[in-house]
Amino acid sequence: METELPSISEEEKDTLQEIMNIAFGKAAAELAEVINIFVVLSVPYIKVLKAEDLPEYLRYEVRDFSTISIVEQDFWGKFRGGAFLVFPADAGKALITMLDAEHETTFESGSMEILEKETLMEVGNILIGACVGKITELLGDVVTYSPPTVLVENKPHDILPERLFDPEYTAIVMKTVFRFDERNVSGFLFLVTTQDSMEWIKQSLAEFLEHYE
Amino acid sequence: MARKILIVDDSPISRKMLKSCLPKDDDPEIHEAGDGLAGLEKFKEIVPDITFLDLTMPVMDGVQALEEMKKHNPDAVIIVATADIQVKSIERVMGLGAFLVLKKPPTKESVGDALAKADEFLGKHHGN
Repeated sequence: METELPSISEEEKDTLQEIMNIAFGKAAAELAEVINIFVVLSVPYIKVLKAEDLPEYLRYEVRDFSTISIVEQDFWGKFRGGAFLVFPADAGKALITMLDAEHETTFESGSMEILEKETLMEVGNILIGACVGKITELLGDVVTYSPPTVLVENKPHDILPERLFDPEYTAIVMKTVFRFDERNVSGFLFLVTTQDSMEWIKQSLAEFLEHYE
Repeated sequence: MARKILIVDDSPISRKMLKSCLPKDDDPEIHEAGDGLAGLEKFKEIVPDITFLDLTMPVMDGVQALEEMKKHNPDAVIIVATADIQVKSIERVMGLGAFLVLKKPPTKESVGDALAKADEFLGKHHGN
C-alpha cells in the first residue's frame, strides 16, 4: 500500500531545524556539566520519510560504521516517537574513561561490557532527555520517557528496530551529527516521530513562530 | 539610536526570530548573511555597528568568522548568538573577542539587554 507522505512546508522544516539546534545545544551543555567533554555540534538536518524507507535511510546514514552501539528511548506526549543515539561500536570504551576519569581501573571482559553499556546509557539518557525535553518545552508539551535500552557492538542491520517498518512511524527524522572533541568520537541522534504527532507539531510550530511575527 | 546591524546565521528562521526581537523604535539598518564567509565579506563591506553571529554554520563556522572579523577590526562589537551554550564554547568565543554571548532562542528582553550593553560600550568607546 502506498503511504502518503506527510506535508511539511519549508518554513516549518526551517523552524524545526532551529528548534533541534537549540535543543541539542542544551543537551550538549548538560552533558558537559556531567563529564569533562566538549561536544562539537553541526547543523541539524530534517527529513520527512515514508515508513518503509526509514530503515534503509538509517542504514545508509550509519554506513561508515561496521558495527554500532545504539541507545534507544521512546517518548510519549503530544510529541511522540523514538530517539536513537548511534555511536560507532568502540565509542562506549572511549567514553568510560571520561565518566570515571579519576579511577584508573582495569576491567575483566565481562564487567567491561557492563560498564560500556552503562556509560552509553548514561550519555544517551542525558543527551536524549535534554534534547527531547527542550524541543517539547519550546513547543509547549511535556513528555514521558521509556527507560533507555542499549545495544552494544552490533551490525547496523541487526539492531535497527523492526517497528520502524510500521506505517504508523511515517516520520519526521531529525538528525544531528556530533563529535566528542577530546575522544574523537562521532555519533548521530535521530528523532523519529509518529505521523499522529504531525498535526500537533505543525500547530505548535505556528504558535512558536507567532512570538516572532 | 539608529544602528547598522549585521546578522550572520545560516537559518532564515533564526534570522527572522532575531530581527523580530530588535527594538522597533530604533529603525536599524539590517544586513544579513547565510554563512560565516558571506558574513565576513559583508562585515568588511558595510562596517556594521553591531554584528550578531551564529556559531554552527556551513562554509565557514562562526568561530572562524569571529577570528577573521576581529583581525579585520579589533574594536568590532560582535554578539555571538548561539544554541551552543557549553561553558567551553562560551569561554572560547569570549577569548576570541566576542562582546557577549546571546543564548538562543532570542527574546525581546535578551536582545534589548545585549543592545543596551553594546550601546554603552560604543558610547564610551567613541567618546559620545
